[in-house]
This record gives sequence, C-alpha cells and structure tokens, in this order.
Amino acid sequence: MSRKISTEVKSSVEGIGLGLRYDLATELLERRPETVSWLEIHPENYVNRGGRYQQMLDLARRDWPIVTHGLSTCLGALEPFDGRYLRELRSFLSDIEIPWHSEHLCLGGVQDRFFHDLLPLPFTDEAARIASQRLIEVRDAIDLPLALENASYYAPQCDDGLAEADFVVEVLERADANLLLDVNNIYVNGRNFDFDPKAYIDKIPPDRVVQVHVAGHFLRDDGLRIDTHGEPVPNEVYELLDYALRKIGPVPVLLERDNNVPPLDELLAEVDELWTIYQSATEAEHAR
Amino acid sequence: MLADRAKAMQRVCFDAEPSDADLELLGSRERWLVYRELVQNRLVEVINVALARTKAAIGDESFGRAVAEWLSTGGPKTRYLRHVPVELADFAIPIWRDKEVPWIAELARFEIASWNVRHAPPDPEPESELAFDRRPVLSSALEIIRLEYPVHKRPTPAAGYEPDSTFLCVYRDADHRASTKTLNALAADLLDAWKRADETVAESVQRIAAKHQTEIGPAFIEKLSAIIAEFIIGGRL
Repeated sequence: MSRKISTEVKSSVEGIGLGLRYDLATELLERRPETVSWLEIHPENYVNRGGRYQQMLDLARRDWPIVTHGLSTCLGALEPFDGRYLRELRSFLSDIEIPWHSEHLCLGGVQDRFFHDLLPLPFTDEAARIASQRLIEVRDAIDLPLALENASYYAPQCDDGLAEADFVVEVLERADANLLLDVNNIYVNGRNFDFDPKAYIDKIPPDRVVQVHVAGHFLRDDGLRIDTHGEPVPNEVYELLDYALRKIGPVPVLLERDNNVPPLDELLAEVDELWTIYQSATEAEHAR
Repeated sequence: MLADRAKAMQRVCFDAEPSDADLELLGSRERWLVYRELVQNRLVEVINVALARTKAAIGDESFGRAVAEWLSTGGPKTRYLRHVPVELADFAIPIWRDKEVPWIAELARFEIASWNVRHAPPDPEPESELAFDRRPVLSSALEIIRLEYPVHKRPTPAAGYEPDSTFLCVYRDADHRASTKTLNALAADLLDAWKRADETVAESVQRIAAKHQTEIGPAFIEKLSAIIAEFIIGGRL
C-alpha cells in the first residue's frame, strides 16, 4: 500500500529547490538565497561521513527543508538488499526529517558490485515485477514514502518490451508508488529514441507525481544526448517543464547541477527562470 | 532474462575487453561502449583525485594498467563513491610494491590514509571525559601509519625518496583537510592502542612504556601531557 506523504512536512517542500553539491555549497550556504526554497541531497554522500559533508548538511538544515534522492538502492537489481545499509539509511532519513525519499528506476549493480552509474532496465514485464517488489521492500524498510524516478537511457530497448512511459506506469501501479518525474530524462530519451516527450507525460497519472527534476544535458558530436547534469537547462526542457506542471500542478521542482558547476549566480538565474515557469504553469486554469 | 542482461552489462562495463557476445546480447555495440566509458570515467575520476601524487609518480600508463586490472575483477564492491579509491588501493598497492620503486607503494598508503581521514565517519560521542582509568575515545578521522619513506614531505623529490622510517598521525583538521603530525615510535604505539580502545589510558601507557623500556618519570609525563592536551584541543581525543 502506498505510503501517504505527511501534509505538514510536504508543505515545507514546495517551489524551486537546488541540489546541495560540494562544488557550490560554500557560496550557497553563505548567501542562503531566498529564491531557493529547499535542497536535495544524495544520502550516499552523507551516511557515515563526517567532516565537510556533515558540516554542509548541518548548515543546510538550519535554513532549508531537505529531500533525499538515492543513488545506490536501485530498484532493478536481482540480489537481496543489503539489510545493514537499509537500516543505516532509515536511521539517517529519520534523523533529517524528510517528507519522502526517491530512487532511480534502473540497474545500479550486479551481485555485490556497483556501477556507480544508472544502467537501463529492459522495459519488460519481468523487470516491472522485480522493480515494483523492490520498491515496496525499500519503502517498508525506510518507513517513508518512496518515489521512483524515470531514468535516462542510451541503448535501444528490445523489441518485445513496453514503451518507456508504459513501463514506468506499470511499476507505479504495481507498487502503488509515487513518481519523481525527471523532465530532462524524458526529453533526452525522446530525442535519442525519437518519441514525443509530451505524449510520455500525458501517460503519467498526475496524482502520483510528488517532485520534478530539471537539468541540462550534453549533446555529443554524433547526436547522442547524455544526461550529464553539467550544462544549463535548454529551452526545450523548460518548455517541457511548463507542459508537465500544467498537467500535474504545483509539485516541487529541483534544478540538478552535478558537473561543470558554474558560479552560483548563473544557477540562481536558472532558478528564477524556473520560478517564472512554475508560477505561470501552476496558476493556469487547468492546474489541479 | 534480466539476470543474463545484468551480468552482460557488468562484463561490458568492467572486463578488460567487452566480448562480442555480450554486446550482441545487449543489442547495441556502439551505445553499450558509451556506457562502458561513462561507468569507467566516473570511477577513474575519483581515483585520480585520491591518488594524484601516486599517479604522477608512476605515470599515466602504469597507473591506468593497475586501474584497468582492478576494474576487470568485476567493479567496485562499495556503494560509496568515496570508498572506490580505497578498494583500488587495496588491489594495486601489492602490485606497485612488486613492480615499482619501493616508495611508490608507501606514497599510495599515505594518500589513501589522508583520503580516509577526510571522509571518515563523524566522531563518536564519548560517554565521559578523558580519564586515566577509562578507555580513550579517539576521533574516527585519525590514522596512525608507519612508513619506510618520508612520502608526506612535498614536493616529491625528482630522484624519489630515500629510506627513512617515519611514524605519522594523519588526521582531519578543523578545515576538514588531512593533516599530519610526525610521531616517535612510542607515541605511535600509544596512539595505536588508543585507537583500538581495548584498554584504559593508564594500562596502555604502562604497557607501551615498558615495551619501549622507558621510565614513566617527569619527562615522560610532561610529553604525555603535551600530546594529550594537543589532541583534546584539536578535537582528536
């Protein structure tokens, strides 16, 4: 059964957020810009870690609500979860009082090895069954709502599988789960595999979306788009965000920038652009 | 089957040479080689940061061979990117000890100790203040290492390091960087004992003083008090 998100905690995470990353933390935590309403962290960077990361999180929590986004408890693996890590994750998430946690719908490791990257699941019934079961298992273990994020992928899928959007919806429905909708990933996948990103968004049940990710990506010389989080958000992704928010309503939007991090003012200009879109789209007549 | 695909992905990403059979199973040679590059680049990037001086000392080619050999064992066992260089070092230091000049492996040990203390867990909360009849609680972000070469001294000499046994306390300082303090053999043994925390301060002092045939007289007490004071003020004890 889906975990319901506490209204009180959820209400503090709204508007536009920014990923707390080492490269921008010093300036962000000193200036504490009011246009950034909340921060997102990767728990793997903080669990059992002191020093600068502990200090960054302590300072961030004074001024902002925090949401967590996992990198390693990927939902597509076949091996049993590491119970010790899930207990540590639960304890960490409980300590920092988050409204929900999210993870990627992908394959992050095989047996006892980790890719440290997000490898694609085949969009098959078998993968949907496994991912939904694992989502429920993690959700129960951390005792918090758990949203899955639609991932980017670069290799063509097998012919006998589902369309990506149908696969995501299948996992959501089976696990009665929430979605972290990454509009950049949809755009990147749409351009790499020639489908309409808006048609993808049309298939997503709006009520399941609890958060949105926005980022830039890298365009290789051969035309392949790579989800690097290392470039400014392109206009096409802003437009897709606008389209998505008009359908799903005022859910919190995160600007992801993990690589090639520019001066904070450049990111804040992107945050301002996101606010403009957010306010315009969520005040629209058809927003929920 | 997902299991077959997952294992093929692992081999394509980490094997010395991805096989045609795996690339065919996964469906797109060109795109899966992109994944191989993305996965390996992320790991190599953090390894290069952690072991920058070691890499510079042995050269890109030799360093790259060790990394590739380690990757071909199946990839990292840790979920934490910050622990990836530690796994590589565990694998590569014995190789470097055999194949490189002797101080290279020592430099790698020192760099990994420095990396470890920077990223160490938060310090444990002591149940009570330091007392001679209680077990000490040292900072998590502190390692005692014994080196045969003074590789902590920078810059690396053009002709390499000459042998010189060195005892170091490597610790995370107030600015979250790795700092070093040179120790004598007795202080290194004492801090090792305090790190293990399986005997009281008094027991460890008596045992280690006896081991080093050192009388616990005024001079010893003065030096011991100084190191305790320094460690308390620095938050390391």
